[in-house]
Amino acid sequence: MTLEILQYGFMQRAFLVGILLAVIIPCIGVIVVFKRLSLIGDALSHTSLAGVALGLIIGINPIIGAMAASLLAAFSIEAIRKKIPRYSELSIAIVLSVGVGLAGVLSGFVKNAANFNSFLFGSIVAISDFETALVVGISILVFLAFIFLYKELFYIAFDEQAAELSGVPVRLVNTIFTILTAVTVSVASRTVGALIVSSLMVVPVATAMVMARSYKQTVIWSVIYAVAATIIGLFVSYYAEIKPGGTIVLTAVALFLLALLSKWLRQRFKSSKMKGAANESV
Amino acid sequence: MAADCAIEVKNLSFGYADVLLMDSVSFCVNKGDFAAVIGSNGTGKSTMIKLLLGLLTPLGGEIHLMGEELSSFHRFSKIGYVPQNSGSSAGSFPATAEEIVLSSLYSQIGFLKIPNRRHKKMVMEALESVGMRQHARSLISELSGGQQQRVMLARVLVNDPEILLLDEPTVGIDAGAVASLMEILHKLNIGKKVTILMVTHDLSHVSPYLNRVLCLSDRNFAEDTIPPELIVHAHAASHEFRHEHVHCAACEHPHDSEHCVACTHTDESGVEL
Repeated sequence: MTLEILQYGFMQRAFLVGILLAVIIPCIGVIVVFKRLSLIGDALSHTSLAGVALGLIIGINPIIGAMAASLLAAFSIEAIRKKIPRYSELSIAIVLSVGVGLAGVLSGFVKNAANFNSFLFGSIVAISDFETALVVGISILVFLAFIFLYKELFYIAFDEQAAELSGVPVRLVNTIFTILTAVTVSVASRTVGALIVSSLMVVPVATAMVMARSYKQTVIWSVIYAVAATIIGLFVSYYAEIKPGGTIVLTAVALFLLALLSKWLRQRFKSSKMKGAANESV
Repeated sequence: MAADCAIEVKNLSFGYADVLLMDSVSFCVNKGDFAAVIGSNGTGKSTMIKLLLGLLTPLGGEIHLMGEELSSFHRFSKIGYVPQNSGSSAGSFPATAEEIVLSSLYSQIGFLKIPNRRHKKMVMEALESVGMRQHARSLISELSGGQQQRVMLARVLVNDPEILLLDEPTVGIDAGAVASLMEILHKLNIGKKVTILMVTHDLSHVSPYLNRVLCLSDRNFAEDTIPPELIVHAHAASHEFRHEHVHCAACEHPHDSEHCVACTHTDESGVEL
């Protein structure tokens, strides 16, 4: 028996695109979080909105506009970060301000406001064949790059200086990672929404960190939590007739709270068991 | 260039903006030395280590590592560098001791390649050498300060280094952990002939293991024409250093550069060697 939800082509596409993004966004997110740049997703997605607006104004595909703006923003963050390494988070705040400002001004010139708004909260159930193909291509590219650069990215995130001394081509790997982050954020903006993508980048990683016992486990659990949040979110949004982008993120946050609760309960159980054993021995 | 120098610095000058921190500093750390760099805050001890690694660019002078000029030196995997507070700063990273040590084998594994069994065995041996094998699968955040520092040491030992550069490795760890760390370093120095250069403020705990003490004074060289006093007092490497006692006037007055004038070695009865 096939579920009703999966009988529709638009929902099949939504699941395919959602799951693919749920695999690659946390892969990027793990490195972003450990490099202490958790808000980079926000800066890039807001700047990508400026690219969307510009694309709609000059009549090019808004996703291409989003990608160009996102890439420019990502390299600007890297450049500013190098100038003020002790306050690297400032680079994100500066680019975020520019992105929000530009998006705000340019959106005033967009004739089709509904099209622009679809990028704010995403429209995963209304994406075109071209957009689906783009997500599939980019997901394969990002996933392969993450697997092949796994140890290099780990080393740079853990200790960039030591990685450089050991011969890791830090600049090359950072450049590749910056491009992948920008491209991922811009395609995800169209599906889950520019205002939501950074949450999906960070929340599953935070959830995995509550439970994981190694870096490898953190990566695997981040992907599992993001995929779970996407599937559950799509089901809930379909049957409850609510917006899918926001539902996916709220599901991810609910999983995070559940993970915290589960850890707290386990710790309580453990300590009460230890107390019991101590009392018995007395 | 002296043949026995593992580290040789000649007329090295360095400064930030218009402040000259080092002016014509010269010294040689011989192969097999266990040397401490001491001096009050701001004299450039950590800066010296970064200059030796090429992480900072000097204003002038020469640096030779294992006989090679720094600009043409590429065997950095043979130089083990443990930065200041490396244990505590790694403590927030959700990685196991095994994962952290394995990352250091990059130069042997290579770009885009996957570590094999031999690499994993090397990691276990490095952890074993610092007494941390049983904690290989533990998250670094769950280890004590002393244990974290030992993992950071294993991270550099996995590459079988010829020179160890340690920046304040005893900061933030208790006396027992300091003693255990120093015993490990002593074994490396004596057993494997690893040359060790260690920045420290904790000379009282580490001096029994040293054969050299280098004092950097904290003069403002931009205003003062007197060259920096980099005092090196070396003794023949044949001594059993474990039983030597090192006395350096600067150690007793670490904030007074006027006292940074000489270091002497004495035997256990106090007779100067």
